Amino acid sequence: MHEVTLGMNGTTEDIIVLRDLSKVYKDGVEVLALDRINLDIAAGEFVAIVGPSGSGKSTLLNMVGLLDTPTSGQILLKGIDVSRASPNERARLRNKELGFVFQYHHLIPEFTALENVMMPMLIAGKKESEARVRARELLVSVGLGERMDNRPNQLSGGQSQRVAVARALVNGPSIVIGDELTGNLDTKSSQLIYDLLRDLNKRINQTFILVTHDMVLAEKTDRIIRIVDGRIVCEMRRQGDEFVASEKCDLGEDGGEIRRD
Amino acid sequence: MYELTVAYRHILRNPKMSLFTVAAVTLAVAVIVVLMGLTSGFEEDVIATTVENNPHIVVHPKEDEKYISLYRTVSGILWSYPGVIAVSARLTGKAAAKHKDEVAGVEFVGIEPADEERLMNVQEDAVYGSFFDLRTRRYAAFLGTRLASDLKLHPEDDFLLVLGNKSIKLKVAGVLEAGSAVDKTRVYLPRRTAQDLLGKGDVVSEVAVKVADIYKARDITADLRRLFGYETKSWEETNADVLELIQTQSFYTMIFYVLIFAIAGFGIANTMIMIITRRTREIGILMAMGATRGSILKVFVIESLILAPPAALIGSILAYLTAWAIMSYDIQLPSEVYIVSRMTVSMKPEFFVYAVLFALAVNFVAGLYPAWRASRMDPVEAIGSA
Repeated sequence: MHEVTLGMNGTTEDIIVLRDLSKVYKDGVEVLALDRINLDIAAGEFVAIVGPSGSGKSTLLNMVGLLDTPTSGQILLKGIDVSRASPNERARLRNKELGFVFQYHHLIPEFTALENVMMPMLIAGKKESEARVRARELLVSVGLGERMDNRPNQLSGGQSQRVAVARALVNGPSIVIGDELTGNLDTKSSQLIYDLLRDLNKRINQTFILVTHDMVLAEKTDRIIRIVDGRIVCEMRRQGDEFVASEKCDLGEDGGEIRRD
Repeated sequence: MYELTVAYRHILRNPKMSLFTVAAVTLAVAVIVVLMGLTSGFEEDVIATTVENNPHIVVHPKEDEKYISLYRTVSGILWSYPGVIAVSARLTGKAAAKHKDEVAGVEFVGIEPADEERLMNVQEDAVYGSFFDLRTRRYAAFLGTRLASDLKLHPEDDFLLVLGNKSIKLKVAGVLEAGSAVDKTRVYLPRRTAQDLLGKGDVVSEVAVKVADIYKARDITADLRRLFGYETKSWEETNADVLELIQTQSFYTMIFYVLIFAIAGFGIANTMIMIITRRTREIGILMAMGATRGSILKVFVIESLILAPPAALIGSILAYLTAWAIMSYDIQLPSEVYIVSRMTVSMKPEFFVYAVLFALAVNFVAGLYPAWRASRMDPVEAIGSA
């Protein structure tokens, strides 16, 4: 791992920078899941990645989350190239710099809510007492102060997802990524999760990257990136209450709500 | 060491899975120990029965002679060897025994009760009667149990012993159960009575010897052969077929052991692979949170280190109890077929050591392999696979 010169769009504030990132799956047939993606995400951004299923949006998220390795191209995390990092180095970065919230909460069933939230800190080698205090605080702040000793099967879907959010935040990561994190929840629970994320984004300048095909949720973020067939076809940024599309946006795909700048 | 925490919680909060792991190892250990014990118990019993039921050295008549007439001298010489603990001059032969309508072929042995008792511990096998009665009761006999029941004889019944055109009437003074084939054929009677029946005077057909150390029998035999013209055989020579059988048997025993270990090993491996495959998703989650491959492996190693030793202990106890149960049920075997008359389990400490080491090793490897495979996956793959 070494420092690299940042590209023309890259600034030191960019927490994650993708350069010509491609992913080819060779499972019998070759599938080009990501096709030379370039993307910069700054600290404190609240980003939604949208697109039809099979478009490569989850693959992109797994690249950003260092859960999967690219076939070619670079991933710069805080200006450092991590695309060729060793499995152990990637594990360390996932633990320190990244938080994950999956569609099906993926809490460990044998552990209580509190223990699940503590886990990333324990993996980081923090003291159990310290982890316990921090996990308690986070569970209280996501409104689950009364549910700490419940196991996942004693929690509702929305509650589990809030535990998962607390778990993602426990090590103070640079980025929290969420894959369809409200896809399995009713509208009310989805709204609750969204409010929680938005509040954290504002309060502690937490960066969020969410993959979703729920446009209602996407339109509540600050930036929408649309992916079709492994390419970014449209990028929109919030300006006040409206979204403004970038110059490369293919309007035909997204309807008339979006204005060209 | 969060790996310890994860392993420990996992065991306690998945009692069913933990129980399965323990059961797999327990059963494997118990099965291995009991089956090894049975096999070797049988083998040891065959040797013990052979050595116990037969004299260690037998002096036969010279070539071209049918009987030994100087048996008193021969006995004296035999006694002079160190380590000789019993000498019995016997007149043996085949005859027919008759009681009412029942007839049976028998092997009669004319003995001096005190000598024969020292040689064969006959009294120990007596179900009824006192062997020393043959010293004072001239027309009395001791019979094998099966022979007695074949002839429908009861204690103190009379029967005829027929040899050629001669016969004598004998009383059943006692019944023997040696637990071997002789129970069906043996008739002990006083030597003088046997000599009367044979009509060849004061002769015997063999002089049988027991020595303190059975492995010295061969040397004494060689020495006797060198000094005298008598045919002399050690127990190894007499029972060559049995010893050969044991040799052959031990080859089959090896195959048998390999099969036992393979089956027990597969039992453990199946259970471990099933349990850990169910946890692939959990492995993915832990890895997404930053657990390294090494840590994942550590979790499983710790779990097997926690679960396997108590399982091995329980397995050993189970094996011990099973062996004890088998022994106390006293399962009878037809001794004509198996040489020995009951199932014996020989509990050697090394069987426990083999079984435990093997079970622990299989448990470990079988647990490590799927965990290792899961840890090589990308977390997304692992999460998605469940």
